[in-house]
Amino acid sequence: MKKTKWSLVALLLSVLLVLAACSGGDEEPTTEEPEETSTEDTTDGEPAGEDSGSLFEVAVTNEGEAIEGGTLQVAMVKDEPFQGIFNWELYEDGYDADLMEWMTNSLFEVDENFMITDEGIATLEVDQENNKATVKIREDVKWSDGEPLTIEDVILPYHIIGHKDYTGVRYDTAFQNIIGAEEYHAGTAETISGLKQIDDYTLEISFKQLSPSIFYGGDGLWTYAAPAHQIADIPVGELVESDAVRKNPVSLGAFKIDKIVPGESVSFVKNENYWKGVPKLDGVVVKVVPSSSISVAIESGDYDIVQSFNATKMPEIENLENISILGRPELYYSYLGFKLGKFDTVENKVVTDMEGSKMGNQQLRQAMGYALDIEQVSEVFYNNLRERANSLIPPVFEAFYDEELAGYTYDPEKAMALLDEAGYEDVDGDGFREDPNGEPLEIKLASMSSDATQEEIIAFYLQNWADVGLNVTLTTGRLIEFNAFYDMVEADDPEIDIYMGAWGTGTNPSPSGLYGEADPFNYSRYTSEELETTVRAIDSPEAFDTEYRADQFKAFQQHIEEVANIIPMQFRYEIMPVNKRVKNFSFDYADEYTSHLHELELVAEEPVAN
Amino acid sequence: MWKTIVRRFLIMIPQLFVLSVIIFVLAKFMPGDPFTGLISPQTDPARIAELTEKAGLNDPWHIQYMRWIGNAFQGDLGLSYTYKRDVADLIGERALNTFWLSLLSVFILYLIAIPLGILAGRYQNSRLDKTIVLYSFVTYAIPTFVLGLIFLFLFGYKLEWFPTSGSVDIKYEAGTLRYYWDKFYHILLPSFTYAVLGTTGIIQYLRSEIIDAKTMDYVRTARSKGIPMRKVYSKHIFRNSLLPIAAFLGFTITGLLGGSIFVETIFGYPGMGQLFVSSISSRDYSVITALVMLFGFLALLGSLLSDIIMSIVDPRIRIE
Repeated sequence: MKKTKWSLVALLLSVLLVLAACSGGDEEPTTEEPEETSTEDTTDGEPAGEDSGSLFEVAVTNEGEAIEGGTLQVAMVKDEPFQGIFNWELYEDGYDADLMEWMTNSLFEVDENFMITDEGIATLEVDQENNKATVKIREDVKWSDGEPLTIEDVILPYHIIGHKDYTGVRYDTAFQNIIGAEEYHAGTAETISGLKQIDDYTLEISFKQLSPSIFYGGDGLWTYAAPAHQIADIPVGELVESDAVRKNPVSLGAFKIDKIVPGESVSFVKNENYWKGVPKLDGVVVKVVPSSSISVAIESGDYDIVQSFNATKMPEIENLENISILGRPELYYSYLGFKLGKFDTVENKVVTDMEGSKMGNQQLRQAMGYALDIEQVSEVFYNNLRERANSLIPPVFEAFYDEELAGYTYDPEKAMALLDEAGYEDVDGDGFREDPNGEPLEIKLASMSSDATQEEIIAFYLQNWADVGLNVTLTTGRLIEFNAFYDMVEADDPEIDIYMGAWGTGTNPSPSGLYGEADPFNYSRYTSEELETTVRAIDSPEAFDTEYRADQFKAFQQHIEEVANIIPMQFRYEIMPVNKRVKNFSFDYADEYTSHLHELELVAEEPVAN
Repeated sequence: MWKTIVRRFLIMIPQLFVLSVIIFVLAKFMPGDPFTGLISPQTDPARIAELTEKAGLNDPWHIQYMRWIGNAFQGDLGLSYTYKRDVADLIGERALNTFWLSLLSVFILYLIAIPLGILAGRYQNSRLDKTIVLYSFVTYAIPTFVLGLIFLFLFGYKLEWFPTSGSVDIKYEAGTLRYYWDKFYHILLPSFTYAVLGTTGIIQYLRSEIIDAKTMDYVRTARSKGIPMRKVYSKHIFRNSLLPIAAFLGFTITGLLGGSIFVETIFGYPGMGQLFVSSISSRDYSVITALVMLFGFLALLGSLLSDIIMSIVDPRIRIE
């Protein structure tokens, strides 16, 4: 008895403590308008979403006299240590790439459509007729240790990736498009025969087949240099563990590594040899900050810029006065997929079976798209940092995105009409529709688990479907852990009728790899002659004509919308809090800060606190 | 006694062997493999299949097991799939971090718990006792992450007494005195959090042992001999009441390497707890097996140590 009383008191006390912590916390009561930041958008920062009220600045000026030098404090929001593989050929984790951006070995620069320009260290010339590309590097570029950049440094990465001891993912079908890559990988050739050194600054690469992807760094073209004078003598198998990758990599970017605390922080100093000029800042310190305390850290003015900030924490920082919140649409879409067949692992191709699939009815699929109130989910759960997607091509790809596509918007009436028309009616009066043969219809949804909100969102969607009379239940009865989810989806588990997934598209939005006939990642297992032709056309030699390619992209989007084997769900924004002391900072894809790091400046000695 | 210790060590061999088989099989039962996480439109399924094959993950489990145990006997625990590093190096680095954090935690923990336990027991039912009992229940009830966040917010951000994340500030040169001081400074707040939350068990044990001991014959004898109460407590009762705590000491020592996922995550401190959890979610088999084996060995060693300690502090107990 006595004990229960005490624990009650204890419980009450701890609740009090929690409440005290909250009220003393970083949250001002949130106002109704989520974005009151003035939106003096630079030119094309405007997201193309029609019904989204959330617009962000993509750049910030912060006038004021710049201080001499200074160190930029960068927070990288992450709940685990970073891996620390500082080599473009070997890294796997996106966070390592974020770190390497400060000292990048990137050869090319890209424009707002992510196409390679002539502005970078190297230029690219494509000889479409002969399937050749010529990479020419500037003559005056030096590595951070003062050694000159030579064409060997451009050739070396190919010989790392193609090597038989290479354990990364980049030795892929695209890479095998380089003539001689397979022979080199098999060990029957000493070098890759398709790589021809013309002079000290020029490399000619021969490909089996070229497509427009080459202009986005695809088709096997490698867009980074590797410091041959530092790593050429290290056996490829031992490279990943070497100090030249882990501790003191030589680099080409505006900054170079000074010190590393493994998994926690990296300090960079300016690279006096940077080819665009000596950076104005003295250095940059990047630190891993746990997601639980990042908002308070931002408020306290500990950091100048914050990378990988989770957009769901937006309400915690949106009223802070010491920062600007920059945002841009992400190269991402989430989607609802319908299982319409199997993957034949012997023939290595998708076998679509519309009649034999529970989800084979087009009107049923469309109705399921109209039934979802994704608009409300975006608003309530994501503070409009996500918006309903109408297409499988994110709007950032202006040249290819079909903004006129109607997409599926919330319309339960239409959903019910479609279902009635297709013969899905409730014959036994239990509130759920039966299939056209009068058999009970139970649709199994597979969805990935993430945070607690995910559960609520999925419950909401299930309710949306129940509202139009569809009995949708969860495969395995609950949300599925990431690895298990992809295992089941890939294996065409019979317990999955529909599934919710997402793709980060990268900078080349081509649907090949995801929607082609021979693609294992074509999880909905839908293919048709029309779709296959379109997908191939997008990366065909004819598509070097941009207009033709754009047309094919539109045809692809329209075809998917009509068939509804995949229903796009959401696009999302990524945001970056930037402290008021950072001068002239842009998060715009067309003019990103990473392409002029040497010009970054600060207007105060310390980051501004709130 | 030495015979027993040697025998106990010998028994550990089959125990660890069984553990290794179990963990190996269970790890393989988990859906997915280390390469599942690499799926993206930019990766080529054929390459993933090739990597899986190369890593030998398509072989039957017993073949994979034989390969693993063969290497393990030669001291090669393999390469972490995620970190692409030698597993022993990786664990070594994290273990060192965790060891210092836990050591300080345990030190602070005893520093708080033992005096409080003694006071509560000695002045049973007084206001002091009630406050201490209340304290121990409150801390028992608070989840680690809640208190961790409160402390971080209060002492880290508001009062700015302590650094807020990481194990050391990057600006100090490794090896200097300032560097080691900074490392110590970084673990103070996390270990304090950890210690405050762990005191309940010890306080309660000590308190009830002391309360029991007060009515014991030897206490009455000591009192009747005219020994002052203060001395009775410090010489007689205290020593006897520490027995159950000594019984745990072995586990406490070996538990120093376990780490705490909550404390590590909140304070951004790279340690064993995080490594273990993240290796499971990324299916980093080589790290999972190595860690479970290590934890298993430490648990066995801990129980042996506890027995040895008991036989030293309590002559009535013989380990034979």
